[in-house]
Amino acid sequence: MNSRARNFLLLVAMLLPLFAWGQSEPPRTIPIREVTVYGRRPMKDIGTVQTRMDSSVLKENVSLSIADVLTFNSSLFVKNYGRATLSTVSFRGTSPSHTQVVWNGMRINNPMMGMTDFSMIPSYFIDDASLLHGTSSVSDVGGGLGGSVRLSTKPASAEGFGLQYVQGVGSFQTFDEFLRLTYGNDHWQLSTRAVYSSSPNEYKYRNHDKKENIYDTDHNIIGQYYPTERNRSGSFKDLHILQEAYYNTGRGDRFGLNAWYINSNRELQMLTTDYSDATEMDNRQREHTFRGVLSWDHLRSRWKIAAKAGYINTWMAYDYKRDPGNGIMTTMTRSRSYVNTLYGQADGELYAGRWLFTASVSAHQHFVRSEDKNIILQQGDRAVVGYDKGRIELSTSLSAKWRPSDRIGFSAVLREELYGRDWTPLIPALFFDGVISERGNIIAKASFSRNFRYPSLNDLYFLPGGNPDLRRESGWTYDAGVQFAVGRDGAYSLSGSATWFDSYVKDWIMWLPTTKGFFSPRNVKDVHSYGVELKADFAAALTEEWHLGAGGTFSWTPSINEGEPMSAADQSVGKQLPYTPEISASLTGELSWRTWSLLYKWSHYSERYTMSSNDLSLSGNLPPYYMSNITLSKQISLRWADLSLKGSVNNLFDEEYLSVLSRPMPGINYEIFIGITPKW
Amino acid sequence: MRYLTTILITLAAITLTGCMEWDYGREESFSNSANGLFITNEGNFQYGNASLSFYDPATRKVENEVFYRSNAMKLGDVAQSMVIRNGIGWVVVNNSHVVFAIDIDTYKEVGRITGLTSPRYIHFVSDEKAYITQLWDNRIFIINPRTYQITGHIECPSMEMESGSTEQMVQWGRYLYVSCWSYQNRILKIDTTTDQIVDELEVGIQPSSLVLDRNGKLWTLTDGGKVGTPYGHEAPTLCRIDAETFTLECRLRFAEDDEPSELQLSGAGDRLYWLNEDVWSMSVDSNRLPVRPLIEQRETLYYGLTVDPASGDVYVADAIDYQQQGKIYRYSASGEEIDEFYVGIIPGAFCWK
Repeated sequence: MNSRARNFLLLVAMLLPLFAWGQSEPPRTIPIREVTVYGRRPMKDIGTVQTRMDSSVLKENVSLSIADVLTFNSSLFVKNYGRATLSTVSFRGTSPSHTQVVWNGMRINNPMMGMTDFSMIPSYFIDDASLLHGTSSVSDVGGGLGGSVRLSTKPASAEGFGLQYVQGVGSFQTFDEFLRLTYGNDHWQLSTRAVYSSSPNEYKYRNHDKKENIYDTDHNIIGQYYPTERNRSGSFKDLHILQEAYYNTGRGDRFGLNAWYINSNRELQMLTTDYSDATEMDNRQREHTFRGVLSWDHLRSRWKIAAKAGYINTWMAYDYKRDPGNGIMTTMTRSRSYVNTLYGQADGELYAGRWLFTASVSAHQHFVRSEDKNIILQQGDRAVVGYDKGRIELSTSLSAKWRPSDRIGFSAVLREELYGRDWTPLIPALFFDGVISERGNIIAKASFSRNFRYPSLNDLYFLPGGNPDLRRESGWTYDAGVQFAVGRDGAYSLSGSATWFDSYVKDWIMWLPTTKGFFSPRNVKDVHSYGVELKADFAAALTEEWHLGAGGTFSWTPSINEGEPMSAADQSVGKQLPYTPEISASLTGELSWRTWSLLYKWSHYSERYTMSSNDLSLSGNLPPYYMSNITLSKQISLRWADLSLKGSVNNLFDEEYLSVLSRPMPGINYEIFIGITPKW
Repeated sequence: MRYLTTILITLAAITLTGCMEWDYGREESFSNSANGLFITNEGNFQYGNASLSFYDPATRKVENEVFYRSNAMKLGDVAQSMVIRNGIGWVVVNNSHVVFAIDIDTYKEVGRITGLTSPRYIHFVSDEKAYITQLWDNRIFIINPRTYQITGHIECPSMEMESGSTEQMVQWGRYLYVSCWSYQNRILKIDTTTDQIVDELEVGIQPSSLVLDRNGKLWTLTDGGKVGTPYGHEAPTLCRIDAETFTLECRLRFAEDDEPSELQLSGAGDRLYWLNEDVWSMSVDSNRLPVRPLIEQRETLYYGLTVDPASGDVYVADAIDYQQQGKIYRYSASGEEIDEFYVGIIPGAFCWK
């Protein structure tokens, strides 16, 4: 039996129980996308370009991280170093550190590296996710030269006690478990969520980067073949716990507590070009992170004030050990980092007729201790190579939003930021929107902003290599576009948008090798990104029992190095940045009938160059790829509980693909999920 | 309606198929007996895109990615160095933990050594014995090149796995001298008949390159370390050591912020060459550093250097932005440019055939 036939039979076997369960159930319908037409334009969103993730997308299945969600539901580039390994997100051809990530108001970019690992954010922990493209991010946060990702949790709207449990079992001995306990009454909403995912992650793949030799007795090579290998050193065990408590006085005051604990233990997968024996080494990253936010909102009919306080504690360990031959794993690298961040924020809003004024001040105080290597000094003593630094990051903003008539709106934001002792120049952002046609809810939008990003603490202080003389990166972004929304409530809705953008980043920071054998960051490039982002959503109630939903994104993003050539030999000027696809696209389609639902997801990244000169070498080239996932689900309502059953097939066409050179990705794989929500 | 149907069918065709195209499996035949220069291109760390180039100085032709083209597989991650012995090229691929043995005319693999920690350089003592130095390991591996097997190791004193580093090697009679580089300050002396370390000499912070001149003098460059590290920082130096007595004869100090690297020797063993932004050269009989460079730098920092042992031509590698094909500049012994050509990403080391 060939592998495709075997895979098909496996799929059928997985899905059979779903059909069996379905026989005895009374017909119910499940909503997929809301068939609602929005004509309202909140003042807060005047002129902004946002992508909002539907809750059905975020809660699709328990094994997904936000990186997975963004791959199939946005035009962002998700750079994935493997299954359950580092996943970074970039807007519009910028770098991952140009994406600012905010969780319940608090910035969660790692202050050491400046970026966020989206594979460490379970989608089941996020109730609301919005992408603010380019200029639009300035309304929320500074430093998002590409944009920002706003993640938040919300009260569960529970009445009394509630429980939800989901168990997922999948290929490569993958187990995903999710438990949520909720309690709610008129004033209190309490929720405890936990996700635990684990897998040895030893998926098979054909390694085309190396060959196994067949030798004769004299050790001559008499044959070679590409080995079929298992993903080596890729296991993971991730635990996330999220505790939430909300109290609503009912008189305009709301209090909230969000506390998120992460305990992650992941091996770092071996490269396809690694000839080590995986049993003789241990390459592992561990992380314990606590993030907590306390919030207070005081709401009145015309004004609102809010305050937040938060704390982040992160312990990260990287250990690389090898067996020197005596059976004892001996440390080669023992790296530790400790991050403590104190956070505070105050916001105010005032509605005055057709005006909305907002003011915000936030502070993040980071304390970072990085220990990279234990060494023996010249005198024979021992010491640790690393750094111990702190930095205050202050951000203040004022905005005025004006809607002189129902058809047009203007918004101006002024932001000022402090990094350590260095104030940024004023960061302005201007937004405009106007209704072109009320009939199709056609709205034109335009905006521009200036922005700055400061070097991360590793950029400045990492030993060896940190460069305290780095300049901040600076950028200008211009956006213009149209959006529309048509439909009939309860029947169908169709919405879409097209945005053109133009953005310049100066003094782009990159880590480069030095003649001393280590890497060091330098301000090396000026980058011009421009292009088009398209988005469309469609939902229709075909009949009372049949629903159809579809969504798609497309992004064309030339991201061109326009800096001065480093020498006459430099062939990178005028070329696309490496590892940045010019085209990315995604499509989702969901068809539901009564309590059945079939979801199809597709994503595409165009060819990514691995060289700044855009040459296509044999040893460094990433062809385009198309990825397809499919999920069949069934909701069952019993007297004592609601059940949900899902079967998912990932990489449906068993593509051999890479997101990053030398990092193998899994072929076709399966997972089934059983969810139960008891009725008390 | 027809258009709509066409669009829908096209969409379905795109989305319901998978078609990542890979180009692999084709082996190219080479038979190049000409003398010339191998260039090991490190590639980007952790991206597995190292490559091997070959340049024929007579025809001025360069062939890139010869290992991949000949073997239909990648060279690996960070090609560190290469030496040739008896018609076999030994390419040390650091982060792939492998040393490939290749036929130097066909570039075909003839064998490989695995089981290495983090190999940097290989030195042949005989046809049946070679040493391989390591980074982040306190052991120098002993191998049998005939069987490609590791036969033993030499444990370095006062060195632990975590901060261990042995680097370049030269041999004087039965003794092998090894520079100890990262977070180290010593040259080790090894008796190749017993595989024992018999002496060591402190020369300054982080000695990297090591060569042996016609007078039996060892020369090493110390890079002086990095400002801010607990190991300390000092001005880089060029040190001369008498191989016979294993004593430090002179220490020529560079300026505090200089970054000298890539110490090389002419074919006759009478001139030293190194990089320090520019290309510098001096006689092995000199007792002071030159004041003027042989070749001035071209905007970017040079990364690699070699000297043709036959003609004395100087080859300098420019890694440019470290993310594209580097460029090699070929100069005459007097510093006149002769040729230039592109190779692979981060050309770091050379090997003469």
